[in-house]
Amino acid sequence: MARMKFICDTERCIECNGCVTACKNDNEVPWGVNRRRVVTVNDGIIGQEKSVSVACMHCSDAPCMAVCPVDCFYRTDEGVVLHDKDICIGCGYCSFACPFGAPQFLSKGAFGSRSKMDKCTFCSGGPEENGSVAEFEKYGRNRLAEGKLPLCAEMCSTKALIGGDSDIISGIFNNRVATREKNGHYAGSKAFGWTTAYGGPDAPAPTPTPAAKIPGAQ
Amino acid sequence: MKVNFKTLGLCFTAAILLAACSEPPEIAAKAAKRPDVAPYMGANNGFMTKNWTPGNQASWTESIDKRNQSQNEYSRVK
Repeated sequence: MARMKFICDTERCIECNGCVTACKNDNEVPWGVNRRRVVTVNDGIIGQEKSVSVACMHCSDAPCMAVCPVDCFYRTDEGVVLHDKDICIGCGYCSFACPFGAPQFLSKGAFGSRSKMDKCTFCSGGPEENGSVAEFEKYGRNRLAEGKLPLCAEMCSTKALIGGDSDIISGIFNNRVATREKNGHYAGSKAFGWTTAYGGPDAPAPTPTPAAKIPGAQ
Repeated sequence: MKVNFKTLGLCFTAAILLAACSEPPEIAAKAAKRPDVAPYMGANNGFMTKNWTPGNQASWTESIDKRNQSQNEYSRVK
């Protein structure tokens, strides 16, 4: 079974924000909510300016799922992390837990009251009927059920953002890195990418901090 | 029988206030987690691609994998 993932190639991203626009337009995301955004570091430093397109990474061990007090999240067989807006109470715990800032809320009231959580669905809707109006109004398009991939990745002009089955997209990315290394013009396997984000043979997982060293931990 | 209006009033107020703590069964049922339909079952709209059969997981996977390769210039330009 496919396990859907995104990866953004920082050597290719040109900060055009096409992915952000495509996502907002196709899913009719309301003003004030950005399911996807482009982050740029080292602005203005020639040769070191890098951009990366960030949205929900559909984590294999998603912290948002772990902290949700009403258990509104679920993971599909394709590895996509989704949530049920009929159960969500808009508490915001998921936004504190998420390292990518994926959960978004629409500020509605004068006292900081928030809407239900909204986030990238990997263009695969929610628990409503596939492709129905109710699903579109709550979660946006269900492109996976239409036999398509997320629009942000499919329309990326430089193919910096790629999305789909992790085995296939990691193969595409590995091929690029190998070609760059062979040509000798760009950073090869040490470039930020799949191995940095998801770990590799030369990058073992960090050792967890022992509870005794965390103040207040039991 | 002598009616104690103070007690009656307190009971009425308590009933009104505690009503907010209850959960009608229809709301409780709505808050239960619902199963999601797999994407290979297809979408109920006119935007589906034509090269796979809704309900057939293998054909959906094959179609998606093929579409995935459209993001790979190395296979597109050959």
